[in-house]
Amino acid sequence: MSVGLDYQFLVKTFFIALSGVPTALIITIVSLLIALPLGFLLALSRINQIPVISQLARVYVSFVRGTPVIVQIFIIFTSVPLLLKPVFEEYHVQTNIYDINPIWYAFIVFSLNTTAILIEVFRSAISTVSKGQLEAAYSVGLNNVQAFRRIIIPQTLVVALPNICTATVNLIKATSLGYALSLREITLRAQVAANVGYNYIEAYIDIFIVYLLLCSLVEYLFKLYEKRLRKYKAVGA
Amino acid sequence: MLEIKNIHKSFGKNEILKGVDLKIEKGDVVVILGPSGSGKTTLLRCINFLERADEGQAIFGNMDVNLKSASRKQIHQIRQKTAFVFQNYNLFNNKTALENVTEGLIIGRKVPKAEANKIGKLALEKVGLSDKINSYPSQLSGGQQQRVGIARAIALNPDIILFDEPTSALDPELVGEVLTVMKSIAKEGTTMLVVTHEMSFAKDVANKVIFMDGGVIVEEDAPEEIFSRPKEERTQQFLKRVIPEDYIYNI
Repeated sequence: MSVGLDYQFLVKTFFIALSGVPTALIITIVSLLIALPLGFLLALSRINQIPVISQLARVYVSFVRGTPVIVQIFIIFTSVPLLLKPVFEEYHVQTNIYDINPIWYAFIVFSLNTTAILIEVFRSAISTVSKGQLEAAYSVGLNNVQAFRRIIIPQTLVVALPNICTATVNLIKATSLGYALSLREITLRAQVAANVGYNYIEAYIDIFIVYLLLCSLVEYLFKLYEKRLRKYKAVGA
Repeated sequence: MLEIKNIHKSFGKNEILKGVDLKIEKGDVVVILGPSGSGKTTLLRCINFLERADEGQAIFGNMDVNLKSASRKQIHQIRQKTAFVFQNYNLFNNKTALENVTEGLIIGRKVPKAEANKIGKLALEKVGLSDKINSYPSQLSGGQQQRVGIARAIALNPDIILFDEPTSALDPELVGEVLTVMKSIAKEGTTMLVVTHEMSFAKDVANKVIFMDGGVIVEEDAPEEIFSRPKEERTQQFLKRVIPEDYIYNI
């Protein structure tokens, strides 16, 4: 009895799945570009207990952590058009609300999601940097921006990097949920190809492998970066 | 050169500084002694605005600053005139010894890198660490780190260097090397304001000793006077506890 896998299809669909990688990457990169600075600033506001902002941030994090990503996607997907409709009409924008490329919704959802996660990542990472570092920076004449950029952030990053890696890899995997928006990323493209001849098992294996390769590569890159940043730490620390 | 008038500072309900006046001339080496909680460290930290005083005035050369309402610019200007040596060294962990020393010069004072490196190497040589300029703090002992901290302060060539218990966090064997450095820069005429428990430094190097307790200055005088003829009861009690018994009987 043969295993029954259509190997030709397996190979062909692998490249179809691979074609969804750019989409997954774009969503990941855009979300990180927004979430990293925003998460850092909001984490700072939590640590310094800035009124209003820090409480809002706390509530925001609870919301995002307490709900499944797929539900967040559905909510954004259905509510944003309703919110935008009056705005579009006000400014006489020609585009139809429902014709917006779903990738924009992906940007919104994943940026919001990743920001919330990074707030917590940075909150704990920043707290590992002793306050004395900042005081020393001030006392040699650095201003706030200089102190953070040159002293605090590099040290925060070393501690935060493993968790940022986890968040990034989770983000890449979560983009698979975009198929619910008909977003033509890895999972959907492979599924569509599978629909033709009902070769689902092969398609799922391919999707699996593509994510595994992509995430492993990202982990490896993070590891390299972490090694470079850790240069100043004691051996074995 | 530096005059502090009527400085008050509370943390919540605790009033730590209850009205302190201080006057320092150029070249003075002033040591502040006192029990913990007396406000010595707070006083130091208020001078370069690591804490914001509730009340008080600082006259620094030709600058007259209200300690409570000082603007960012004024704070920056005062920090240009001072340098701080911390009890826990507070070296920049992600920078080498040389980079630690030159950071304030290059970024804080816009000194060109080549010149800053020259100044930095000289400062590190002065504290005896020429062979460690490219080491990171994690590779240095406590005494070495503190010496880098002192080099960082002297490289800035400030009007006054503030020392906050510079040897309190060090193993006893390492205290000596740091005190030696401090003594040598004192001999060169550096103006220093030092909070310490090291009586030898106060006796040998300081030209003025201040005894603080409970947020006020109890007594201030030359070291010979304070140590052999303390005038206030509190001073006598403190010295009795801190100095071994046989010294008191020294005629």
